[in-house]
Amino acid sequence: MIVRALGLIAGAALVLLPLAGVPYTTTLLLPAFGYAVALLGLNLLFGSTGLLSFGHALFIALGGYTAAALTGRFGVRSLELVLLAAALVAALVAVPIGLLCVRYVKIYFGMLTLAFGMLFYSFLYKFYALTGGDEGMRVLRPMLLGRPLEHLDTVAYLTGPFYYYALGVLVVAALVMRRLVGSPFGLSLRSIRENAAKAESLGIGVRRCRLAAFVVAAVFGAIGGVLLVVPTGLADPLLAYWTHSGNLVFMLLLGGFDHFLGPVLGALVFILLQDSVMSLTSYWRFVFGAILAVIVIFFPRGLMGLLDARRAAAS
Amino acid sequence: MRLTRRRFLKLTGVGAVAAALPLDVVPVLAQSGPVRLGILAARAGVLAPVGESGLRGVQFATDRINAAGGILGRRLELIVEEESSPKDTVERFRKLALSDKVDAVSGAISTGVGLALGPAAEEMKTIWLAWDATTQKGVEESMPKPKYSFRSTDNECEAVMASILTARHWKGKFKTVAGINPDYSYGRDNWAAFLAIMKKYGIEAQVVSELWPKLGATDFTSHVATLIQAKPDLIFSCFWAGDTPIFMKQAHAAGLTKSTKVVLTTGGGVHESLKKDFTPEGAILGYNCFYFENPKASALAKEFTRWHAEKFKEWPNYESDHGYFTVVAFKAAIERAAKAAGGKWPTQDAIIQALEGVEAESLSGPRRYREDHIMEAAFFQGVTTHRNRHDFVTIDPVESMSTKQIQKPSGVGLYDWINGWKV
Repeated sequence: MIVRALGLIAGAALVLLPLAGVPYTTTLLLPAFGYAVALLGLNLLFGSTGLLSFGHALFIALGGYTAAALTGRFGVRSLELVLLAAALVAALVAVPIGLLCVRYVKIYFGMLTLAFGMLFYSFLYKFYALTGGDEGMRVLRPMLLGRPLEHLDTVAYLTGPFYYYALGVLVVAALVMRRLVGSPFGLSLRSIRENAAKAESLGIGVRRCRLAAFVVAAVFGAIGGVLLVVPTGLADPLLAYWTHSGNLVFMLLLGGFDHFLGPVLGALVFILLQDSVMSLTSYWRFVFGAILAVIVIFFPRGLMGLLDARRAAAS
Repeated sequence: MRLTRRRFLKLTGVGAVAAALPLDVVPVLAQSGPVRLGILAARAGVLAPVGESGLRGVQFATDRINAAGGILGRRLELIVEEESSPKDTVERFRKLALSDKVDAVSGAISTGVGLALGPAAEEMKTIWLAWDATTQKGVEESMPKPKYSFRSTDNECEAVMASILTARHWKGKFKTVAGINPDYSYGRDNWAAFLAIMKKYGIEAQVVSELWPKLGATDFTSHVATLIQAKPDLIFSCFWAGDTPIFMKQAHAAGLTKSTKVVLTTGGGVHESLKKDFTPEGAILGYNCFYFENPKASALAKEFTRWHAEKFKEWPNYESDHGYFTVVAFKAAIERAAKAAGGKWPTQDAIIQALEGVEAESLSGPRRYREDHIMEAAFFQGVTTHRNRHDFVTIDPVESMSTKQIQKPSGVGLYDWINGWKV
């Protein structure tokens, strides 16, 4: 009940924010939307399936570089096409990687995803002619729903049409994910998480389901990646770096992985927290490390766990 | 502690108000109150010492300006944010522009960050005075004619000067060369410039090894082994961070520096770590635009060096000079524009116009911004010596070249320019 009411208030606040005349705060939420989409996917893998990926930034970078290649090199400026292409590319890449990774669970799965993430980082870093190396690739401002919006300056574009577009993508992503989690497929994933052997004996194709979850997570990651690089205007190799994957896991733990909206809350709070702590001290990484430790030790269900006390009591 | 519904709502309410308040509700004091200068300085990782050095130069300039009455009577205030990844740094830039409403932003070292900030500065219509981060790609492709971005000297200046010195000192004295450079655009650009200049000087040296360790690498055992196998007469490196002394130490231990000529274009950035124990005499060593023991140093440079040594127990390096110059150039431009406007506080457009071609006394001597928004400065390099009062190498004699000589002029490609030299 509280969560629902707070959710409605937060939703209304997000819709009204661009009208409040606080452009910086509005632009600040753009990466949060991108991360939230990616985390919804990552949580299907972790929260639902019980597989913790330490290389999910690979797919964010894949989305980012797809956006850069399409807008910068091939002149495709339609964001819908870019999102579609990013999803396709991510799915294509995720299938072979997933086939290898889902043969393992726990730390072995984590290490393998980490390895693939770093492999992709090295590829981005080393293949100068193709990827621009450390300098990355520019992402040009995309058209939204076929409208070029060239009359708007960047701040107006980002805090107006692009803000609502990204929010819209997040809402659609959340609805799709909600449907997925509640579907028989979602139930299969949860049963695999709880007891893979038992699930298999019930006739659930464990590896197939894990692979499907991996591919869906990758697609969400790439879509999040596209939303992430448009405001920056650059796709760079650090997007694929392992610390970025670590940040994703941090956000997930912060928000709470056992609640459907935990990842969204995690992304929002992480971004707002990072913004304020970074301005206060150059030792913000230390502060973040301490926060992570406190969460893992004292609040393993994250912020959503705090909010949703009723469920905590029930579980 | 039990979190009741009422208590939670109270807490989140207070939190939400507190979070929302400081972000954007900053009163706009357009022409009164302090002049606000945003700073983007690297604070972590391999770039941290360089970011700190730039910040020191900025702080020194700001203290002097404020002690002398500020800029046209207004105090100069710094708002420091961290330079990190391109994405995060663009967000910090946006914060400085939109939330802190700074009059300009100074800073940034990393080339990747520079490439992202250039377009961001244009889009946010905020003056950005870079400390470094000027790659050819940045100059030629991403921002061919920027309005708001004012960039540093080209990445390749150090390689160009070191190559000229190599040709001058050692032409005919080496037949094989090897390059060991950090694996990113700076390393690649410098190595390519070196090879092009060797060719221009008619030095047909054979490249026996090209090594690309990761920036900030801490072990060069395999690289040194490769170099020993390759037996180059000359090793060229544009290492500038903590990797420089580690490589030199390992190369020295393997006997590599005994008979091989060494060119370190940018090692002067970490000059105090280049101890005499393992850094040979007779190597070419570059200090970018600031050499702390320049015998021809100005009174200002001497004052800064003294201040730096007393305050930080270290001898300063070049990034301080880049940082210092951005601040004094900004002040000079405001004063120049105000003069043209009859003493009134100038508009942003007028400040930008005044920055073009502005000249100011920096730590390394007079420096200026070219009309195409690129810095001009003097660079310092020389041949290493052990004859000094320190436990690390210095250079003697100190050679200085202006960017008029070692930086490509406006509107010309780097290699077209080099190929057009008369040598």
